[in-house]
Amino acid sequence: MTTAEQQADILERLKNGVIEYDEESVVKASNEALAIEMDAYKAVMDGLAAGMDVVGGYFAKGEYFVPEVLMCADALYGGLNILRPHIKLDADKMVKGSVVIGTVEGDIHDIGKNLVKMMFEVAGFTVHDLGRDVPLDNFVEKYMETDADIICMSAMMTTTMIGMPVVIEKVRAKNPNARIMIGGAPINEDIAQKWGADGTGKDAPNALQEALNMIGVLRDLGDQFKSERKAKEWGEDGLLDAAKT
Amino acid sequence: MSTNSRDTVLNVLRGRAERGDHIPNFSGMGSITLHGIQELGYRFNEIHGDGRKMADAAASTYRQFGFESAIVPFDMGVVAESLGAGMKYYEKADLGQIIYPTMTRKLVDRATVTVPDGLSEADAKTFIMKEIENQITNYQLQMPEDISRTGRIPVVLEAIRILKREVGNEVAIGSWTLGPFTELGQVMDLEVLLKMSAKKPDVVNRHLKFMVDYLDKVLHLYIEAGADFVTVREMGATASIMSPRMFKSLVLPNLQDLFGRLQGVPRVLHICGDTNPIIEMMAQSGADALSVDQMNRLGETRAKLGNVVLLGNYKPFGAPFCDGTPEEVEALVKQAIDEGADGVWPGCDIWPQVPVENMKAMMAAMKKYGVKD
Repeated sequence: MTTAEQQADILERLKNGVIEYDEESVVKASNEALAIEMDAYKAVMDGLAAGMDVVGGYFAKGEYFVPEVLMCADALYGGLNILRPHIKLDADKMVKGSVVIGTVEGDIHDIGKNLVKMMFEVAGFTVHDLGRDVPLDNFVEKYMETDADIICMSAMMTTTMIGMPVVIEKVRAKNPNARIMIGGAPINEDIAQKWGADGTGKDAPNALQEALNMIGVLRDLGDQFKSERKAKEWGEDGLLDAAKT
Repeated sequence: MSTNSRDTVLNVLRGRAERGDHIPNFSGMGSITLHGIQELGYRFNEIHGDGRKMADAAASTYRQFGFESAIVPFDMGVVAESLGAGMKYYEKADLGQIIYPTMTRKLVDRATVTVPDGLSEADAKTFIMKEIENQITNYQLQMPEDISRTGRIPVVLEAIRILKREVGNEVAIGSWTLGPFTELGQVMDLEVLLKMSAKKPDVVNRHLKFMVDYLDKVLHLYIEAGADFVTVREMGATASIMSPRMFKSLVLPNLQDLFGRLQGVPRVLHICGDTNPIIEMMAQSGADALSVDQMNRLGETRAKLGNVVLLGNYKPFGAPFCDGTPEEVEALVKQAIDEGADGVWPGCDIWPQVPVENMKAMMAAMKKYGVKD
C-alpha cells in the first residue's frame, strides 16, 4: 500500500470502529496512525469525528439509541486518548478556544453534557468541566476566572432548567457579550431565545441529539472566533500566535 | 353518573366512565404550584420532608383551582434515599427558587470508585468506568428491614393519611414511584447502566428484579395508607433513550411483573419522551391506564389501541402553559380532548411557577370541553 492508501485505510477503520463501537479496533488503528506518522488532527477529525457524525445520523433516524451512542463515545475516547497528545498546533483548521461546561444545580444527569464536552474536546477546545449539580454562582465564577469563550449549561429535567436564566442574567451583567449555550431535554430554541442564550442545538429532540449535532455548530463557532478575535491573541488568519511558530 | 370528582376519576382510571361523567383534569405526578405553597407560607424545600406540609402542598392545587387529584411525593429521590442514596434538599435556595431534592451520592457511581495515584486523566476515566461496571456486576441491593420507617417513606405515608382524612372523600389521592429501570438509574451510575443494558443485560435484569420486589412493597404501603391510585413512572425506558427491542426484552417483563402484583387500586404507567414506537407494548404492561407526554401522537395512539384508557398529554412546562395566554392554555385542553384523552393530564410534573390565571384557564376550559353527552 502507498502511504495515501494506508492513511485512507486507517481513517476508514477509525470511523467504522466508532460507528460499530469497537474500541479495540479504534485503539489499534490509532496506534497505526502514530506509527506511520499520520497527522493526528486529521485522524481525529476525519476518522473519529467523522464516525461520530454517522452515529448522530443513526441516532436521529432511530437506528441507534442512547446505550449504543455511549458505547460509540467510549470507542471514540479510546482513539482520542492515544491521538490527542500528538496533535500539533500547526493545523490551519485548528480551533482554539475554551469553554466552561456543567449541569445545573439540582440535576445529576450528565450524559448529554459529557457528550457535548467530548465534541468540544474533539474540536480542540480547552474544557473546564464543573461536573453535575453545579451551584449557579460557580458557572459565573469559573467563567470570570478563566475568561472562557463559551459557557455551556445543561439540564435534563424540566424541574431544573429554571436555574439557567439566573446564570445567564448574572453572566450578562458582567459581560454583555458572553457567548452562552444551553442544552438538555427540555430546552428548545424558544426557551433559549427567551432567556437570552445564544443558542441551542437546532431541531434537536433531546440533549443527545444536540450533542451529536455539535460538530457542525463548533465548526461555525470556530469561524466566528477567527473573525472576532483577529485583533486579540489570534492572528489575522484567526490562529493563535503560538500555532504559527 | 358518578356523584363526585373522586368517583369520576376512579371510574375513568378503571375504564368505566359512566354516562354523564365529565372528563376529569388531574394528574398522578407532582402537581403543586408555587402560588399554592406561598399561600400556605411554606418554603419549597420544606415540603419534601414533613408529612403535614407535604399533604397541605398536595391538597392546595385541588383547594385553590379545583384540580382533581392530590398527589405525593414531589421529588424523585424518595425510593433511592430509602435504599441508601444520599440526598440534598437545597435548604439555602432563595425563596421562590425551585430546586427539587436530588441524589448527591448513588450506591454505585464515580464517588464509590477509588482511583489509584499516578493515572493520567484519560486512564483514570477508563479505570473509573471499568470499576463502576465491576461494582454493578457484584452489587447486592439490600431490602431495608422496616420499609415504612426508612428514609422519607414515613413522611409520604403520613402525607397520604392526612390527605385521605382531610380531602379523601372529595378528591382522588394518588401516589407514585419510578419504574424498576428508572429507579435503578437513580441508585447506580446511569451511563454505565445503559451500556450494561446492551452488553450485560443479565446483570441489569438481576437488579431490576430486586427493584420489582421493592417497588411492590413501597407501593403497597402507599395503597394501605390510602392512595386511591398509583402511577409508575418508567421514563428512563422511553424510546428517546432505549430501543423498543431493549424495552421489550429488559423493561416490559419487569413492568408486567410489578403491575401483576399491584392489585386493588387503578394503576397508571407513565412514560415520557417518544412513546410512539412502544405504546402497544405499554398497553401490554398490565396497567389500567397509560400516561404519555406531548411527544405522543395521541390521535394515532387512540386509533391503534382502541379502548385503552389514555391520559395526556399537554406539556406542563415552558410555552404556552407557563408563559402563554389563558386562550393558549384553553387550546391545550381542547387539543387533548379532541385527540381522545380520557383524562386531561400533564406529560410531566406541573412546573410550579405556572401563572395562576393559566391554572384557572385550564380548569375553566374543562367546563367548556370536558362535558360528555
